Amino acid sequence: MGFTLWWIRLWSLTVKELLQFSRDGFLIIAITYMFTLDIWLSGNIHIELHRASMIFKDADQSEFSRELISRFRSPYFRMEGEVFSENEAVSLLDRGEAILLIDIPEHFQQDLLSRRSVDVQLMIDGSNTIIGTLTSTYGSQIIGEYSLDIGLDLLRFHLDRLEAIPRVELRPRVWYNPNQEDERFLPISELLTVITICGLMLPAAAAVREKERGTIEQLLVSPLTPAQIMIPKVFSMTLVVLIGTMVSVFGVIKGIFVIPIKGSLIFFFSTVVLYTIAVSGMGLFISTFTKNLAQVAMLVLVVAMPVVLLSGAWTPPEAMPLWLRRAIHLSPLYYFIEMSYGILLRGAGFEVLWLHFLGLFLLGSGAFIFGAYRFRRQFG
Amino acid sequence: MNIKRIIAISHKEWREIVRDRFFLALAFVVPSTMLLVFGYGLILDVENIPFCVVDYDKTPTSRDYIYRFIGSRYFNFRGTVEHEELLRPLFEASKIRFALIIPEHFERDLRAGRSVTVQSLIDGVFPFRAATSKGYVLAMNRDFNGEILADYFSKKFGIPLDRAFELAQPVRIQLRYLYNQELRSTWSIASAMIMFVLMVSPPFLTAMGVVREKESGSIYNIYCSTVTRGEFIVGKLVPYVFISVLNSLILWAWTKFLFGAPFKGDPVFFFFASVVYVICTTGIGLLVSLMVRTQVAAMMVTIVLTVVPSVLYSGLFIPISSMEPIGQFQSHLFPAMYFTDIVLGSFLKGVGIKHLWDRVVALALYAGLLWVISFMLFSKRPRS
Repeated sequence: MGFTLWWIRLWSLTVKELLQFSRDGFLIIAITYMFTLDIWLSGNIHIELHRASMIFKDADQSEFSRELISRFRSPYFRMEGEVFSENEAVSLLDRGEAILLIDIPEHFQQDLLSRRSVDVQLMIDGSNTIIGTLTSTYGSQIIGEYSLDIGLDLLRFHLDRLEAIPRVELRPRVWYNPNQEDERFLPISELLTVITICGLMLPAAAAVREKERGTIEQLLVSPLTPAQIMIPKVFSMTLVVLIGTMVSVFGVIKGIFVIPIKGSLIFFFSTVVLYTIAVSGMGLFISTFTKNLAQVAMLVLVVAMPVVLLSGAWTPPEAMPLWLRRAIHLSPLYYFIEMSYGILLRGAGFEVLWLHFLGLFLLGSGAFIFGAYRFRRQFG
Repeated sequence: MNIKRIIAISHKEWREIVRDRFFLALAFVVPSTMLLVFGYGLILDVENIPFCVVDYDKTPTSRDYIYRFIGSRYFNFRGTVEHEELLRPLFEASKIRFALIIPEHFERDLRAGRSVTVQSLIDGVFPFRAATSKGYVLAMNRDFNGEILADYFSKKFGIPLDRAFELAQPVRIQLRYLYNQELRSTWSIASAMIMFVLMVSPPFLTAMGVVREKESGSIYNIYCSTVTRGEFIVGKLVPYVFISVLNSLILWAWTKFLFGAPFKGDPVFFFFASVVYVICTTGIGLLVSLMVRTQVAAMMVTIVLTVVPSVLYSGLFIPISSMEPIGQFQSHLFPAMYFTDIVLGSFLKGVGIKHLWDRVVALALYAGLLWVISFMLFSKRPRS
């Protein structure tokens, strides 16, 4: 009898939390936006070199120089026009109207025809490192290819027409995301970030709200144990996050972007639940230090930032210095991201990911138990 | 507008902030922490890419080809495997991000003057990294080709090897990076982070401002007082703008002295632009605060309105000119983009008011618009 009563109390408090959530229109709009429109918008962003605006300075005006310039084309580059002096070019780069200048010297064709090597200058806006790196990578590639081609062409008439030239053809194949489409990567990473933010904030807010408004007194005089107060908060908000994730996966990721999901969705959703409970624990832990929501909001920012950053969502572990690479194992998001990409994009199963699952489970239960302990203590 | 009443409201708000010691501390700790965490933790240099090799040929030539990758600082060699089937689990566990597969008869075919196809597999989960790694891999291969071609020419025509190399690769590339000669990512991240932090933290400070009074009921003191709408909004904003301006100076100092990013622009202009930007972002928080009814909603709406646009639509990662028209349109709707230009212009490029005045005007208009909307949204006679 006592056992069923325990469950009934848990159930009614969960209903209370969900009702409270459902009556806050703006909150629902914000969360719906995060799980749908936001994911969709992130898929329309390309962290790739895409029609980068460039200008050229051609002091040679020859067939060869025009051939080289014409190789800088869509989808990577977009020619914005010609400049006639370096000052003009720098001023365009200053204003951000171009990010790359290709500068072809005089006598370019003549020198090549008389078998002298020539220098072509690429002037790149380095103020944004990502774009600077990509621009120089692609720019060097185009000029390098041109160089090999022209070298061969110029010597072609010394060789037999049919003579084969030894050459290594490199066929780069990109796995899991064949055309490096950001629309596979970004929506998923955005979804994982949204889950983290909601999982941290919602339960923490639900807990501290009672303190701020004083309704915690009502709960304290009721025949409820701290666990019965805390579990419904975590449970209801996990449910909200899970529903949001489902909407997002079926509606946006599968529905609009048609990203083929290679692994088991049930496995993925179970991971989401486990992860949300883990970050809820962290959220509850945060809430015990605070007296009002303004403090919660600021404290969540401080905690969420390293968790997101250390997850490998932005910087993969191998690029980090050694001490950070060790610290990464403390971020639950790290395990979650590895598992999510593994399941969704690579079709990995439990047998490959069990170690990550274990890590997430240990870290999650640790955070949750510690959060619960602190939460109970406040009633002491 | 009565200055005295504005001062009174600001004074009351300031007292409230100062008395919540923990909140006051966080108001200064949060922005600096964000800058330091991102400045040190966000590493965009693509180096040490872990890779594996499947060498079906096992000859001096194939080993020479592989050694180019092993010796490069861009790649980190993690061993050879016997068969390509064994690569998949390594990719799945993220142990490697790139693999080379050298076919049989690699050496024999090259010696015989035939073309050989080498396969390379790249993990595409991080598109920016995949694109950069692909560029490195192709560059390595190009160098190797240049050398075998030079070798071939030198034997064929009986000329010295370095001359043959010039013939094989006649066009040399000179790369010159403007504004950031060594392409140091900490410089560009730290300065761009000023934009991000000042976009996110001021609204968070402000967002709770009005809605807290609504939730606790103390807003009725305002409803029944002589304070007008405009006075209330301005008075509420002033303390938060003050805190955020102080923060902008602290962030500037971190970026300049800790991260060593060169500040080439005009300090007075930059300070003025920062103040306008902070008024904008604080205004966003206030607007949210006026719109919603609960603090939880204020928190979530603030995240939606600030974090996403400042990451995706600010030009932080993607240049605005590369976006689709819809993305470009979105970018112009948020203040983040204008301030990114101002920060990078002042820090790395060293351009001043001459090139950037229109961005400041846009920010000022934005701030004005936010104020007008807030003014219209706030009513001293709420319907419910």
